[in-house]
Amino acid sequence: MGSMHHSRPDPAKELAGTERRKGKTREDAKNQRFGRADRSAFGRWFWEIDRFQLFLISLLIAVGIIAVAAASPAISAQEGKPAFYYFTRQIFWCAIGIPVMIGISMAPKDLARRACILGAAICFFLLLLVPFLGVEVNGAKRWLGFGMFKIQPSEFLKPFFVVTMAWLLSFRFKDKSLPVIPISMIFVIIIGALLMKQPDFGQTVIFGTVWLILLILSGIPILWMIGLGALGFIGVLAAYQFYSVAHTRIDAFLNGTGDHYHVDRAMATLTNGGFVGVGPGSGIEKFRLPEAHNDYIFSVIGEEFGLLACIIIALIYGTIVIRVFRRLLGEDNGFLLLASAGLATQFGLQALINMAVNVQLLPSKGMTLPFISYGGSSLVAMSIGFGLLLAFTRRNPYLARSTYLPKWQQK
Amino acid sequence: MITRFKSKKALSSTDILTNSHIRLMVLLIIFCFGIAGVIAKLVWLVFITGWGVEERRHPPVAPLQARADIVDRNGRTLARTIDVWSIGIHPRTLQANHISDPDILAANLAALLPERTADEYRKILRSNRSFVFLRRHASPELVRALNMLGEPAIDFLHEPSRLYPEGTLCAHVIGWIGEDGHGQSGMEFSFDKELTDPKRQSEPLALSIDIRVQAAVEKSLAAAMQKYSAEGASAIVLDVDTGEVLAMASLPNFNPNDRSSSDPTAFDNKATLSVYELGSTFKPLTMATALQDGVVTSLAKRYDATEPLAVGRFHIHDEHAQKRWLDVPETLVHSSNIVTARIADELGPERMQAMFRNLNFDHRPAIELAAKGRPIWPAYWARTTVMTTGYGHGIAVTPLHLTSAYAALVNGGVWRPATLLKRNPDYRPDGSRQIISGQNSATMRRLLRLVVTDGTGRKANAPGFRVGGKTGTADKAEKGRYNHGARISTFAAAFPMDTPRYAIVAMLDNPQGIAETGGYATAGMVTAPMVGDIVQHIGPLLGVIPDPKRDLDLTDLRALLWKPAAKKE
Repeated sequence: MGSMHHSRPDPAKELAGTERRKGKTREDAKNQRFGRADRSAFGRWFWEIDRFQLFLISLLIAVGIIAVAAASPAISAQEGKPAFYYFTRQIFWCAIGIPVMIGISMAPKDLARRACILGAAICFFLLLLVPFLGVEVNGAKRWLGFGMFKIQPSEFLKPFFVVTMAWLLSFRFKDKSLPVIPISMIFVIIIGALLMKQPDFGQTVIFGTVWLILLILSGIPILWMIGLGALGFIGVLAAYQFYSVAHTRIDAFLNGTGDHYHVDRAMATLTNGGFVGVGPGSGIEKFRLPEAHNDYIFSVIGEEFGLLACIIIALIYGTIVIRVFRRLLGEDNGFLLLASAGLATQFGLQALINMAVNVQLLPSKGMTLPFISYGGSSLVAMSIGFGLLLAFTRRNPYLARSTYLPKWQQK
Repeated sequence: MITRFKSKKALSSTDILTNSHIRLMVLLIIFCFGIAGVIAKLVWLVFITGWGVEERRHPPVAPLQARADIVDRNGRTLARTIDVWSIGIHPRTLQANHISDPDILAANLAALLPERTADEYRKILRSNRSFVFLRRHASPELVRALNMLGEPAIDFLHEPSRLYPEGTLCAHVIGWIGEDGHGQSGMEFSFDKELTDPKRQSEPLALSIDIRVQAAVEKSLAAAMQKYSAEGASAIVLDVDTGEVLAMASLPNFNPNDRSSSDPTAFDNKATLSVYELGSTFKPLTMATALQDGVVTSLAKRYDATEPLAVGRFHIHDEHAQKRWLDVPETLVHSSNIVTARIADELGPERMQAMFRNLNFDHRPAIELAAKGRPIWPAYWARTTVMTTGYGHGIAVTPLHLTSAYAALVNGGVWRPATLLKRNPDYRPDGSRQIISGQNSATMRRLLRLVVTDGTGRKANAPGFRVGGKTGTADKAEKGRYNHGARISTFAAAFPMDTPRYAIVAMLDNPQGIAETGGYATAGMVTAPMVGDIVQHIGPLLGVIPDPKRDLDLTDLRALLWKPAAKKE
């Protein structure tokens, strides 16, 4: 495996790290206190991981639990279920998702990469099965299994797909002659076709955009970027032309015609709270909002906790993505750079699109708000994705910063 | 920067990575723009459109647009838009929730909402229905009590609704609004545009009504109506100088909050819509015209009332025939039809008509309400018509017409249109006109006071309030002919007569005599005491201080009254 030697510590860098350490006695003392010298698996993980990032994600999960608690009675009342039906289930999914995320974030990078490639193969196979064995919910065939044990293969495929594509495209850093782009393109087209068949326009956009960004980061010429961007635009146009769901939604957004009940209700819910919200549990509009626990949970937060809370959430998503990208500016491993950037893009893009739909900057499409929306598949898949991101951005705190960062700054 | 790398023949791994870092930076900036866009839209929603949220909060269930309050002259709320709660329950959700035991909940519901028994509630709770209303228009206390039960399946829906906190009080004047949120009756109808004007929401519509006076009037009216088994009753209190209506009552009345339970006839405002032949209350009007036009040059001038007056085939009788010659004060004190007819005959049709026109008796009453009756104006003014209209027969007007006319008689002789809007004390409406001289008005004040101290209106003499007025009992005209069994008993008055401030007209529709009144149901026996009662209640509220030592000097008028020898002091 080519990437093996990338993760091998560079003796020169290690030396630089030791040099730096000598000058910082105060930090030394702290290190002693927190047992940074202790080289146990947990100790190493704790000091290598981006702890602030972990804190931000915990914050999002906490917000998600509160938001689902707020949305649960509303959506349960519409479906005639017990008031906290969705809330209790969300707690259950968090109890699965959080250990999964932490466990994955501890995994050695090579192991994580290999597992992802295997995971991608399995999920791709499951996705192929959906048209034949899938369960239909709300007119879309996206799920496999039955009852509580329904899984959405496309959700799980997302993180594995990103890592696999990153691995594939990272070969370009070594040998540009390898035909990795056409190979990856084949996969994207197959996945896109399967998703559109479900139909799941939103996921298709996510898969396509993430792939496009990986291509851009792997150094494709600028003309290609323009060409692929145009292709994406044509793709959306084609979807508008031939794909009835997208057609009606885009029409409704552009002209304000057709059925815009969902978006109107979402806007009424979002703005009902004003700046500081009507208070937890006091929301009224949420009861008339379809998908309050899912696509429009951002609006429910807006009603009960105010637009101030919405702005803070948007800032948390922004901070998480900015932190990852900033870290990656010092990343010299092509695969880790692509994989981390891809996972962060998938996470950030999904959040951005969901919020933009809620504030009516974009036409509605079925997309969950990462870690906040209700949904087992979504939450566990997001946990896997974020666990991978934490694993790939783990860094030896003794290592010096990348030499490329100052280089980039000089230019 | 990005393109620079393209020109190089061989790209090293580090060059590609540097290139990637630059692109990463660009993507990061694009992403930051996206987040900034979302935040900008959120801020825009709060500060630009967020404030308008109130109006579209419940678009499908709230047809009621914002509507200003209506208050009385002292700022007391008569109509207000509030959120009204309706309570319902989702039995299916209840069964799925497993939070409360349906048996216990049913018992609790029966205790709080006694319209159904616990068994009926249990049946509802165990049913497969998705939603059942428990109570429409519930009080906030009830909502709180039910909320304390802590069952999420109990649903509280609220919708804006128009509330009339005074209930039946002044209902005819305030009116009501329809399902479309627009006024359908009363001031709600007349001022619909002003009340719904978004720019005037903060300013309530202030009526001239004083709800305390209104309450006193309605209470006395209802008591008299019940006591004499009358079919209906009506009363008006008018400020003689500004034309402001301080009270306007019509019984039977209705509750604008719940109109369904009311008798359809209750919605008619008798004070402005119904026209009546108001009988002898017209005599002072005729007398004032005679004084003004010089037909009666001296109050001591005597007229023959020895026997009924024959005009063609008609005979005009007196109710309490004195069978002698009567002077002007005696005519009013004994309410002589014969003498009034003689004076009206001397005035002639032109001058009689001119007076009635001056008093607006040829038009619907001047007031802001829409429910206004058209007076019955004689089609042909024969000699008999002139004579009978002189004592209030053959012409029918609304009680409000008469109130405005009496205000003009006593206020110095100026007729002014009535108004239901609160005005300044020095307000003088357009369309005012001098109908008699100030001197003649002063004479009329003393004559009306004499009727109360020495004549048919004695029972209206509220001690110390210097009430003056005239009774009027007329056979009820129904469907074009007189019903001699049914009468309209009216008392038209003003007080205090030394400096008149308020005119009152009260009317009972077909009262029945009782033992206390000696079987009589004449105005002097049934309506006059009621007006005395009203004056005693409202006088202090309106700042009229009762003073038993103060009165008009009626010595010269009393000297003109002949008294039987036995009664002489």
